[in-house]
Amino acid sequence: MLPERVYAALEDVVGKENITASKEDLLCYSYDATNTTFMPDAVLFPATAVEVSRVVEIANTEKFGLIPRGAGTGFTGGSLAVFGGVVLSTERMKSVIEIDEENLTAVVEPGVITWEFQQDVEAVGLFYPPDPTSKKTSTIGGNIAECAGGPRAVKYGVTRDYILGLEVVLPTGEIISTGTSTMKGVVGYDLTRLMAGSEGTLGIITKATLRLIPKPEKVITMLVSFLDVAAAAAAVSDIIAARIMPSTLELIDAFSIKCIEEYDPERLKNVGALLIIEVDGISEAADKAAERVEEVCGSAGATGFETATDKHDVKNLWKARRSISPALFKLKPNKINEDVVVPRSRIMELMTGLERIGTERRLIIACFGHAGDGNIHMNIMYDRNNIDEATNADMAVKEAFELTLSLGGTISGEHGVGTTKAKYLDMELGPVEVALMQRLKSMFDPNNILNPGKIFSGSASDKKVPAPAF
Amino acid sequence: MSELESFRAEIDKCVKCGTCRSICPTTRVLGRESACARGKLTLIKAYLDGEIEMSETFMRHIKECAMCGGCRDVCPAGVKTTDVYLAARAEFVEKKGLPFLASLIFKNLDSSRLMPFALKLGTRFKGLFFKGAETDTGLVSRFSLPLVGGGRLMPEVAGTFFLDRKEVRKLGKRQKKGGDQMGSSSANIAFFAGCGVNYLMPDVGSASLKCIERTGSTVSVPKGQVCCGMPAYYTGDMETARRLAKKNIEVFESYDYDYVATSCATCSHGLKTVFKNLFKDDDEMRERAGAFAEKVRDITELLARDLGPMEAASTGSEETGSSDRPVSVTYHDPCHLNRNQGIKAEPRALLEGTDGIEFKNMKFACSCCGLGGGLSMTNYDLSIAISKRKADGALASGADVVATACPGCIVQLRDAMHRYGVDKKVVHVVELL
Ligand SMILES: Cc1cc2nc3c(=O)[nH]c(=O)nc-3n(C[C@H](O)[C@H](O)[C@H](O)COP(=O)(O)OP(=O)(O)OC[C@H]3O[C@@H](n4cnc5c(N)ncnc54)[C@H](O)[C@@H]3O)c2cc1C
Repeated sequence: MLPERVYAALEDVVGKENITASKEDLLCYSYDATNTTFMPDAVLFPATAVEVSRVVEIANTEKFGLIPRGAGTGFTGGSLAVFGGVVLSTERMKSVIEIDEENLTAVVEPGVITWEFQQDVEAVGLFYPPDPTSKKTSTIGGNIAECAGGPRAVKYGVTRDYILGLEVVLPTGEIISTGTSTMKGVVGYDLTRLMAGSEGTLGIITKATLRLIPKPEKVITMLVSFLDVAAAAAAVSDIIAARIMPSTLELIDAFSIKCIEEYDPERLKNVGALLIIEVDGISEAADKAAERVEEVCGSAGATGFETATDKHDVKNLWKARRSISPALFKLKPNKINEDVVVPRSRIMELMTGLERIGTERRLIIACFGHAGDGNIHMNIMYDRNNIDEATNADMAVKEAFELTLSLGGTISGEHGVGTTKAKYLDMELGPVEVALMQRLKSMFDPNNILNPGKIFSGSASDKKVPAPAF
Repeated sequence: MSELESFRAEIDKCVKCGTCRSICPTTRVLGRESACARGKLTLIKAYLDGEIEMSETFMRHIKECAMCGGCRDVCPAGVKTTDVYLAARAEFVEKKGLPFLASLIFKNLDSSRLMPFALKLGTRFKGLFFKGAETDTGLVSRFSLPLVGGGRLMPEVAGTFFLDRKEVRKLGKRQKKGGDQMGSSSANIAFFAGCGVNYLMPDVGSASLKCIERTGSTVSVPKGQVCCGMPAYYTGDMETARRLAKKNIEVFESYDYDYVATSCATCSHGLKTVFKNLFKDDDEMRERAGAFAEKVRDITELLARDLGPMEAASTGSEETGSSDRPVSVTYHDPCHLNRNQGIKAEPRALLEGTDGIEFKNMKFACSCCGLGGGLSMTNYDLSIAISKRKADGALASGADVVATACPGCIVQLRDAMHRYGVDKKVVHVVELL
């Protein structure tokens, strides 16, 4: 419970309408897409950086945790109040401040919904590529804080690659600007990149200057089927090796297909594995690339190849693709969802390795994802109430991470560490790196008020600054 | 076990991915998690678990909803969100009762004299209630009345109700079972008016009848038909909804018809699906409701699919006939037609196939107008704020006229155009054909 004095001080900053501590409202901010629950003590809806900064000052004086929150679609618990504290929602900070058509930049507030922003820029012939599959819900602020990727990352890169500059409220209350609004800039350390992927632990993003590019003239969407996931994975590596640059290269295995069959039974029934491939660019170039994709897939043993001609078909296909993650619960009531990445030449080894782990542990491991950049969403399906399955699932995660790292990969490509991966941090990072990151965190946030309990909580070396609580 | 309790498993299907946020019109306006399905389901579950009471805040959050069904349609886990909300609303009514005025109205919806009388009285003394001059939109400005918010445009109550029109009353007698239409090859259509058409937009009713007749079919307008009961249903008053459904089924059963047609999206949804569901525990009535439902068609569906082409209109319609320049028309999808019945192409096909109409799609045509689920009565500010997107969409479409297929949507869209300063007529599709 928030002491009355603190509540009054916060209310004074944001106004009566924009603070709540009613149980009903707290419940609605107690979860995110990890489907776990932690009750915050209050929720605030600030409108400006100045308000945020004043709230941060109060948090430092009164020593309570602040948890930034966008749309709550995070997969690693980043927006959860694991130690209670006050959720700072960006839901009121949702304006697109400027789209500069001469310089191909835009300035937005953090609560802007990614897809809606994309609609705005595409209306003037521009393009903002980062497209997490949650784009219709997730916010730019959340995307930056997690450094979100998406299907297009294979050609266009991730959120980090489109941030020119940020306005950030530091955990000590100062409002700073990072980066530039120019295409280049090397003055001082790159604080912008430090913020990207910092999971709301180093600062609260209150404004972002984003880089735009011209909208590709043509996009061709192809649907390619294979006998099994190994064949599809091999085709992914072949496409990359053939120096084709698809703008999307998504892989879907048979378990996942099963869960979305209903979206397009005609195309999806009884398929062993699928690739959704897109090529884009100047019209002729896109046509040419599509031809080459067809060739390579043919020699890689594709059993079906189709070019989507109808806009409605394409939309439907993507709708189905976006639904996989939540729809997987049709298989089992619980899942552990990890987004490992390996070098692209080794995807087949990853897929067959995961298949082996699944068989050995008697678990379904459903895989899909942005295979074109080596990023696979592996979903270990299990029933929490079945102790045997739950233990096996836990072991399977560890084994899958070991496999990933042995292939030269990383344990998270885009979802971040948050709370769910914190205990595996040491598997990938050395003690010196972890210690350096923690020093950085305490330099930014000496009182550990900003998003406590994230990233480092579970690692052995973290016990220095206890998380504040009432 | 309460009805709501039986939805626990449905609620547990929600995995909190947040996809519902992307489509929810109330979330868009309120910018609060409690508005979207993920939040509402969390609250209902907390209530079932005894974590929260049936508090004002809880009930307000559940009712911040136009029941458009968008969340249900996009939910990757397939949660039947609207069914859960309805069960919650029913629980509110069961535990807290209905607001006084709502209960007064719902009690009298099937009285063939009292409702019309009350409304007539309202019309007679409208100088007392209605303020300001009639505007071009066919709506008049109104003082705040208890049931509705203040400062809004309300449609004028018709001088003569549709069901009281002379030519309509005549149609009440025809085609009794075994009547004079036996052996004729043309289809028999029984027309269901609904309150919107009957009390507020009788011309929409007459235009519908004319369109049906132009296909060579014959129409009857069964006598004794009452409100479809959907307003009560969406408020959670299942008792009233059941009573009205039964009455309507009985009335129509004494007529002979191939199809039942209505020009209200909410009515057609109600007649087709809700009636059946209301009689879950009554096998006989459920069967009768099922047989009735099979014949029900929305007017746009009936004209575009089931009946033959219409003869050319003898005189052009008011909107399209008067000039050489084609009138550009855009279309708003009523949620109860598009989402609940999958009727999307039919009204567009009708418009596109009409001489003198240039059809223009509007962006977000299928986003909710904000009227439904009782929202315009319980939370007018929210309801009209939702409709802004429609006014913006209509303006951007560049069309002269906005067509739709639901009197409720028409009322709301006219209010929205007025409120947001968009100078466009809003009409029913049948008025343009
Ligand atoms: C169905 C589904 C599909 C997904 N697909 C993808 C995908 O393809 N690629 C991908 O990368 N991710 C994906 N995700 C994960 C998630 O959508 C992303 O991590 C997204 O960036 C989170 O955005 P959000 O607005 O929901 O942030 P939240 O979940 O609210 O927050 C995420 C983190 O960002 C922090 N944060 C939020 N706003 C700010 C701010 N203004 N300043 C500082 N910190 C802030 C929070 O504290 C938290 O740590 C998916 C999720 C779902 C449910």
